[in-house]
Amino acid sequence: MTNPTLLVAAREFRQIATTRSFWITLLIIPFVLAIGPIASHFMEKSQTETVMLIDRSGQAAPAITAKLALDEQRRLLMALSRYSESHGLDRADPQALWARHDRYYTDADVEAFVRSGGLDHAEHVMRRVAAPDTPPFDKPDPDYRIVPTPPAIAAANPAELGHILPALTNPPKKDHGAEPLDYAIYVPADFGSSRAAVQIWSDGPPPASLMGALQDTLTRAMRLRFIQAQGLSRATAVQAGEIAPLIAVNRPPQGKGQEQVVIRSILPLMVSYLLLMSLMLSGSWMLQGTVEERSNKLIETVLACISPDELMYGKLVGTVAVGLTMVAFWIGCAIAAAFATQGMIADFLRPALAPLAQPTVAIAMIYYFLAGYLMISMIFLTIGAMSDSFRDAQSYLSPVMLVIAMPFAIIAQAVLHDPSSLGVRIMSWIPIYTPFTMLARLGAGVPVWEVIGCGVTLALFVAVEVVLLGRVFRASLLGGGSKPNLARIGRLMRGREVE
Amino acid sequence: MTALLLDSVTKEFGDKRAVDNLSFTVRDGEVYGFLGGNGAGKTTSLRMVLDIIRPTAGRIEILGRAPGRENSAELGFLPEERGLYRTMTALDTITYFGRLKGMSKSDARREGRALLERFGLADSANTRVEKLSKGMAQKVQLATAVVNAPRLLILDEPFSGLDPVNQGLLEAEIQRLAGQGATIVFSTHVMQHAERLCDRLLLLAQGRKVFEGTQDEARATLPARLSVLARETPVGLPGVIQAVEMGGENGWREWDVRLAPGGDPGDLLQACTERGFALRRFEQRRPSLHDVFIHLVGGEGERA
Repeated sequence: MTNPTLLVAAREFRQIATTRSFWITLLIIPFVLAIGPIASHFMEKSQTETVMLIDRSGQAAPAITAKLALDEQRRLLMALSRYSESHGLDRADPQALWARHDRYYTDADVEAFVRSGGLDHAEHVMRRVAAPDTPPFDKPDPDYRIVPTPPAIAAANPAELGHILPALTNPPKKDHGAEPLDYAIYVPADFGSSRAAVQIWSDGPPPASLMGALQDTLTRAMRLRFIQAQGLSRATAVQAGEIAPLIAVNRPPQGKGQEQVVIRSILPLMVSYLLLMSLMLSGSWMLQGTVEERSNKLIETVLACISPDELMYGKLVGTVAVGLTMVAFWIGCAIAAAFATQGMIADFLRPALAPLAQPTVAIAMIYYFLAGYLMISMIFLTIGAMSDSFRDAQSYLSPVMLVIAMPFAIIAQAVLHDPSSLGVRIMSWIPIYTPFTMLARLGAGVPVWEVIGCGVTLALFVAVEVVLLGRVFRASLLGGGSKPNLARIGRLMRGREVE
Repeated sequence: MTALLLDSVTKEFGDKRAVDNLSFTVRDGEVYGFLGGNGAGKTTSLRMVLDIIRPTAGRIEILGRAPGRENSAELGFLPEERGLYRTMTALDTITYFGRLKGMSKSDARREGRALLERFGLADSANTRVEKLSKGMAQKVQLATAVVNAPRLLILDEPFSGLDPVNQGLLEAEIQRLAGQGATIVFSTHVMQHAERLCDRLLLLAQGRKVFEGTQDEARATLPARLSVLARETPVGLPGVIQAVEMGGENGWREWDVRLAPGGDPGDLLQACTERGFALRRFEQRRPSLHDVFIHLVGGEGERA
């Protein structure tokens, strides 16, 4: 003879599993994982912005172009450095600039990198030691591209430019065929004098990197002029302009420190979010089922066969099983995507799944997940038992959802910023938020005493909740008429009012 | 053997007393009617028997045991307010309730198929309940109550909401189960069903028992009524308390005669013969259960 609780659980599970919304929800994560890289590939928009230089000085345009190219090579060198560190390629040439992660690359460093063969040479060297499954280096798009200046614009006076250029950088109607112009820079012949301002036209605030390059180039030219005016030779003036400090950067290796906190918090945060999402869904499905039993007058027939407790536990087990199935399926898809595929999503998921390799973390995550599920499902179940229709249920559900779900965004942000901050630790001890907070914190490491303490507190809370809400559930099953108010719910919890 | 016993059972909801010191016994194999108006306490009493709610005071014994889910394997129950899981098929629904009552899956399915066949729903076994007509769903509901061939079948207002065809089907099913030795307790406020089916009955009013016994005993609580065609008024004959003239022709008049409670129409006939009281017709009118109900329960049968 099968246990009635399991029979109810199996029926609940089957009822939910036959709904279209269950399957849509279940398949949405693998669909996103599958379609994400493809969609991002097609939707990827070049980040390169176009710059037009109108140079009346004859010297500024080549200098600005050279400066932007140098900055571009610096970004490339930094990206190469990260790539080399992530894939253990430093040993190909430990003296190479891209193998040195302890410094901010100066202009001289970047020039040396370019002189030594730049990207092509670096890739060639790295390939010697790269493992066969090492993905190729993904060269970042340049930030800026200089576009030719049309003769009409090159010959126009500043007043005319003031009419022509806004129409190009901020056209009233987007012409998808025409090449867009993001920035136009006008450098007068006597730039630097009080009457001759350098002017920029753009569609919005110009980026700091462009402004920095422009200011650096023009300031250097003005200083050169000034130093030469002081009687020094041009060579000395140029040397003075190139003086720059060596800035050492002290940081933990890639994937450690704050970066590690962020990466290792991703899976727990995701699990925490999945808990919230699957709870809302399976809880509302269960609630619908309970409301259906009440509104269809099924309860009495069921209660003639099994006890209210068997019905209650059966529903809880069924709903937890639905939630676990969904989350196990999603995590299974994530593991498959991480280890059976290559690319952006796999690169993101692999380190994020690392906490699962620690059995204690995995066990704690499963415990908090189950306890969280039980805690919230019990609330849904009681609301279902008190409601004659889904509309009735909504009036209880909305405030409950607000209390449960609202702090999640704050928790996620706080955990990423500092998983052991006082606020986050306090939230960990408030039982209704314990599962979400602890799940979110586990990846970054939580003291054992805190894991156990919060776990025991949560278990006690769930036990008391099951007893108190169980009374409300039992008393409400056959009740009719108006919805119980808070005072009556309180009396039902205390067992002062039965049936 | 006693199938069901209630001994001084009282049920209170707050300060409202729904069942008041109720005692009665249902013997094994009986078809027992539980009669009363709306709010008389019928459903509350049956819920206590099924252990869905607990009595405030008193003792209940069901099949020789205290109420509890351990009895569900031998119990069948059809509530007044009925419903089914809309997305389950007819056969799955019957199987599910059979299993909740402790049947094995194969037994529940086999019995479910047999019931559906008997109720003319064999072709709808795998149809979702939401796609069945109301009448078909009612048959499925009945099947869920009897799938376990219960020793005690409790039916709460079983005929309410049924179309005439399903009322006939239910009566036949009750008679079939009774023929197999099952005890059947059903509540109703439709006296015709009770008249056709009950061996014994109980009348409830405002939670209190006002009568328990056979149909004949129930009828005996009412004064006997006769239709008499005579030349003279029967008033003055032994036992006659009232005679109302209803019409007549050719010197013969029709009288509606009431006897004193406990008065025997046979004694009156004998007195007429001995006294030479001329009679052309002497017809005893059998009171219906409806008359008994109105007589015993009267204005307190219905509760606001």
